[in-house]
Amino acid sequence: MSSAPGADPGPDFELASAFPEVTWLRQAAAAADWAAIRQYHDSLPPGTDRAFVVGVLAEDDGFEHALRRQLAAVPHDVLALTVLGTRLIEAGWEIRTGARAKNVSREQFKAFHEHLREAEQLLIRATALDPSYDAAWAARLNTALGLSLGMNESRRRYNRLARYHPHHFTGQARLLQKLCPKWGGTWEDAHGFARECLLTAPEGALNGGLVAEAHIEHWLDLGAADKRTEYLAQPHVHAELVEAAQRTVFHPQFARPYGWVTVQGCFAALFSMIGDTTQAAAHFQALGNLASDYPWDYLGKPAEQYIQHRDTALRGRR
Amino acid sequence: MNPRDPQYHQASHDSQSAATMNAIHLTEVDGIPTLFAYAPGPLRAGLVFRVGTADETLARAGVTHLVEHLALYRHGLADYHYNGATKAAFTHFHVEGAEHEIVDYLHGVCASLADLPMERLETEKEILRTEESRREPGQLPLWRYGAQGYGLVSYPEWGVRGLRPEDVRHWTETWFTGGNAVLWIAGERFPAGLTLKLPPGARHPLPAVTSALPTTPAHFADGQGGVLLDAVVTDTAAARLYAGVLERELSRALRQEDGNSYTAATDYTSRRDGHAVVTAFADSLPAKQDAVLGGFVDVLAALQAGRIAPADLEAVRTRADTGLTAADAAVRRLPGAAEDLLAGRPPRGLDELRHELWSVTPGQLHAVALEAAGTALLQVPAGHSASWAGYAEAPVRSTYAVTGRRFEAVAKDGSALVVGDDGVSVTVRGRDGGDLAVTVPYRSCAAVLSWPDGGRRLIGTDGLAVAVEPGLYGVDAHTMAILDAAVPPHARVELPPRQSAPRAEAPEPAAASSAAPARRTGGQTAALVVLFLLGGLFAFIALATTVFGHDPDSSTGEWLGLSGFLWAVTGLIVWPAVRILRRTRRA
Repeated sequence: MSSAPGADPGPDFELASAFPEVTWLRQAAAAADWAAIRQYHDSLPPGTDRAFVVGVLAEDDGFEHALRRQLAAVPHDVLALTVLGTRLIEAGWEIRTGARAKNVSREQFKAFHEHLREAEQLLIRATALDPSYDAAWAARLNTALGLSLGMNESRRRYNRLARYHPHHFTGQARLLQKLCPKWGGTWEDAHGFARECLLTAPEGALNGGLVAEAHIEHWLDLGAADKRTEYLAQPHVHAELVEAAQRTVFHPQFARPYGWVTVQGCFAALFSMIGDTTQAAAHFQALGNLASDYPWDYLGKPAEQYIQHRDTALRGRR
Repeated sequence: MNPRDPQYHQASHDSQSAATMNAIHLTEVDGIPTLFAYAPGPLRAGLVFRVGTADETLARAGVTHLVEHLALYRHGLADYHYNGATKAAFTHFHVEGAEHEIVDYLHGVCASLADLPMERLETEKEILRTEESRREPGQLPLWRYGAQGYGLVSYPEWGVRGLRPEDVRHWTETWFTGGNAVLWIAGERFPAGLTLKLPPGARHPLPAVTSALPTTPAHFADGQGGVLLDAVVTDTAAARLYAGVLERELSRALRQEDGNSYTAATDYTSRRDGHAVVTAFADSLPAKQDAVLGGFVDVLAALQAGRIAPADLEAVRTRADTGLTAADAAVRRLPGAAEDLLAGRPPRGLDELRHELWSVTPGQLHAVALEAAGTALLQVPAGHSASWAGYAEAPVRSTYAVTGRRFEAVAKDGSALVVGDDGVSVTVRGRDGGDLAVTVPYRSCAAVLSWPDGGRRLIGTDGLAVAVEPGLYGVDAHTMAILDAAVPPHARVELPPRQSAPRAEAPEPAAASSAAPARRTGGQTAALVVLFLLGGLFAFIALATTVFGHDPDSSTGEWLGLSGFLWAVTGLIVWPAVRILRRTRRA
């Protein structure tokens, strides 16, 4: 017998549950404790995806004034430039919303572009001052997307990032978005890049998870249910996912870096939709109820989808 | 690094003799200030006048160039090397040869200027037209300065056709005078028997610096060839070195690291008014324009952020110092020193120049980068923008439309021509419902191009143009007569019949685009033919080299290099033609 409905706890979408330091970062941002933030940021171990930390700091619009004050006092503060730039990108997307372009009003687009332009100019300065700063390049991959600066420009920005950070997960994930047909790319490029990330990354790194993200994107793009089912039924898709999972989240050296909940969620969702409940269950168990909006919002209401797929997978396994 | 640097002493000691040789002495020949420098080899000299394209008006553009040609006509068969060059604010007559040849040449130029061979007028006009068809002037000056002053170098020499002998004579008497000239000579000794008989006249101040840019940094989109930039900076050794460092950074980033450009180059031109223009260029594979633009913006930003590699500064500085101390350094410095003197700036000693050069610090370069950032004008490939990087859009429309008689476009595309008492406007309905206008007020009309079929094109001093095509807007003869009477007579340019006048029956994009205001100018068909023929030839050679050129005697690298070079030449030839095609619209 399966467990009674509702006995399993609902999924936990709280970022701080996966990464407790997020709570501290949010408090520091709310208190505008710039010295503490800088000290924390500057002492992060090499190889940390600092775009994640900057993303947390840029969540709250209350921090914007403090950032502007800091920049007025220290115009060459790369961290402040990057957090403010990232904050403005966030604010711009909040105005634009994630809707299809045809459902976004002219005023929304105007404000969106104004925010992105201001962000881009702060970030140009940040990368000019420190071309090795990963979070600024990762943010510039977002501005390039929103400002429609072109495929080669996105690739150039990624290459600039990769000169110093050849396995930067956030940067790779953003370039992957650009390589998808919705932003002017091709599936060949998107899958090819994801595979390249998998093969070039160190064993047990997160990067190969992009193979799963590419398949989720491809699946979503197909629209019609029968085409989606047909897509996932292809043996090579399943084989690629198994390989990618083994080299990443199931690798003995996997250390759960920033972004792992999303990647493991992608694997769980894909295996579940394919009908490989054994694989899906293993990923759900690894997640231990942790969740992120992506990819579950692609499937429907994130929490409902998560519970449905998880319960099916765990039941099927038994 | 600085004059106290031991390296500096070493260099300065070694080149002691060069320094003596490179000294420039100021003297006089028949009252004309003369710069002399000792230099081994053949004698070289240059007679320089403070007049150039920037002193003209758009409707008389080309008169200085025509005078330069006429003054040299009588030397046509001489077997020594000579040349003439008309620049924005200076005209150079240059010669190289034996002592008596120099004396003969300069004497001949002065004699010709006093009595130009007017029987050659029409022939030389024809030659200028041929020369013009091969010229591909840059667009940056016209966007920066407008259709006047320093902006005129961007325009065709529209005035040449209508120039009468008396116009040319008047121009010569005004500008090509003893008071407005400086001579320079480089050689082992001062040539004997040299006389310069020029009519007396006043020294003219430098042309006024006009502006067509309400705000900088700015950008405009035109052409397919890559990214260009110019910036006005204070004329210093630091600024000169900045241009060199910028070139190295552009080459490194765009060519070596990104691999999106083949050529990246910069130029530094002193305007002789205490300011100089730094120009930078990076070509682009057509598919990589977005990345070349992005890379270009980032190179500029890095210098503005003060990220200046000391090794770059030293490399550029050393090269500049070599230029100052080389055996022919004085010869190379003299034409510029003559321009300086004409602009009221006395020649500077070699030690002073070297001292300034070796005193430049990275901090000064950073300051130049910031100054350049504030005045920059960026030309991006058509279809691109640099607004995202903080470069404002250079104006392509006027802020108002005149009121007056309104003629709706026959094609009913929503555009209209308005002929008012003070000027003309073309208006189009903007996307937001308001009217967008391009206006040329009669009082600031730089030229009116007139075709025998009745077509007119008014070009304002700001560089914006309005095409008045009676057929496209149903303008009656009476209104056209009023318009013709209203424009200043000195702005009128009569052009020969066009191959086809714009017609209302065939409006398609033409009507919209003639309403959508162009700053550009037409009349480059001959250039198109020549460039495409040449381009085709080079494409053939390049293709042949690429396919068959890999012979076993040369390395693959050489073969690749040669093929690449030939394709690059092909591209460089075809590029201006493509630009002309894209820029000029045939109705």
